[in-house]
Amino acid sequence: MTGNERPLEERIDEVVIGLADEAECARIERMAAEDITVARMLDQARKRFGELDDTARPEALPDDMWARISGRLETVEPEPAIVRDPDVVPFRRPDNAPRAMSWATIGSLAASVVLAIALAWTLFSQKDPAVIAVLINDAGEPVAVVEGSVDNTTLITLLGPTTVPEGRIMQVWTKPDEDGPPVSLGVLSRPTSTRLEVENLPAPSANQLYEITFEQAGGSPTGLPTGPIHGKGLAQQPL
Amino acid sequence: MTDYAQLLENCAGGDRASLRTVMDAEGGRMLGVALRMLRRRDLAEDAVQESFVTIWRKAHQYDRNRGAAKAWIYTILRNRCLTMLRQDTREIATESDVLEMRQDSDILSETWERLGEGGDLQRCLERLDAKKRAAVLMAYVLGYTHGEISGRVGAPLGSVKSWLRRGLAQLRECLS
Repeated sequence: MTGNERPLEERIDEVVIGLADEAECARIERMAAEDITVARMLDQARKRFGELDDTARPEALPDDMWARISGRLETVEPEPAIVRDPDVVPFRRPDNAPRAMSWATIGSLAASVVLAIALAWTLFSQKDPAVIAVLINDAGEPVAVVEGSVDNTTLITLLGPTTVPEGRIMQVWTKPDEDGPPVSLGVLSRPTSTRLEVENLPAPSANQLYEITFEQAGGSPTGLPTGPIHGKGLAQQPL
Repeated sequence: MTDYAQLLENCAGGDRASLRTVMDAEGGRMLGVALRMLRRRDLAEDAVQESFVTIWRKAHQYDRNRGAAKAWIYTILRNRCLTMLRQDTREIATESDVLEMRQDSDILSETWERLGEGGDLQRCLERLDAKKRAAVLMAYVLGYTHGEISGRVGAPLGSVKSWLRRGLAQLRECLS
């Protein structure tokens, strides 16, 4: 069901009535995440067919349903990533809200410092990463090294002591698609080097952006980076 | 009227009482939707339970500017049910569960009856050929695939796909 040449309205209807396969659902969800017009078309279709959900005869919930649900909440962590799960439209902030950061300023980084650290790192790194990015702060100082593997395991090594603002955590982001939204790789609940795993992302490639921001506990509430930037950098393939 | 968007935003802030309020308000209907698709009460209850866990986990992704909260909640439920159906749980019903099985036609008749007259969806569905209408309802209400609809109505797969494509196009035109 990959017929991208088909009308978008038809594809959305098929997602909503349950006829699209998982990959197609994920494609439409991704489009909705990036384009509010698509998000609204999807919402319209869901509301139209939602009248059919209203026809279901309410059934008595078992007495222990709340206990079953609340018991599960103890072990559930809020999920910061936005695009990897096709269950729902991954929502973004309204399009007119101010962007928390400029992705364009990355070109001004001190390239020679980055390259020197990346080369040295390769010599001592135990695993074979597909890419390495050295994240630089506003002052041009290297603050972290990110090693991305093809299976989307990401090793974050913090360089030097890191001061995390009170009540915040560090969240790691990347942009697998240069023109797409940033995707969360996970949060660092403590300012220590951490290995993160994420599913359903393409293998990292050269010039892919990585970034660490300070977000509220549990991760960014919008699914996109909102807090101040700790550091960012573009990935390079180790030689 | 329940402000589901506010309740989801409260959930995102860690307020369990709001999740409980959503469950009290919609849980019964959600179980009804799940039961129509899964046909087994134990599976339907599991689907509702897991949907509320997912709602809790993803509440911070909900944005009222991008869609209605109730539609967001039911999308999570429906996707959960569809995932369970596609894993062929429908095929593992035991003999005692058969007692709870209802005929497709009973469920669809009741859906049609309860849709009531005067609503836009009812008016537009009524304009479709019976076979197109049945195919749309079987997909949405029962969670059937193209192939399952084809098998149950005894029509070639290509015909079923064509009915659904044309039926959905007619519905869009009528509802726009």
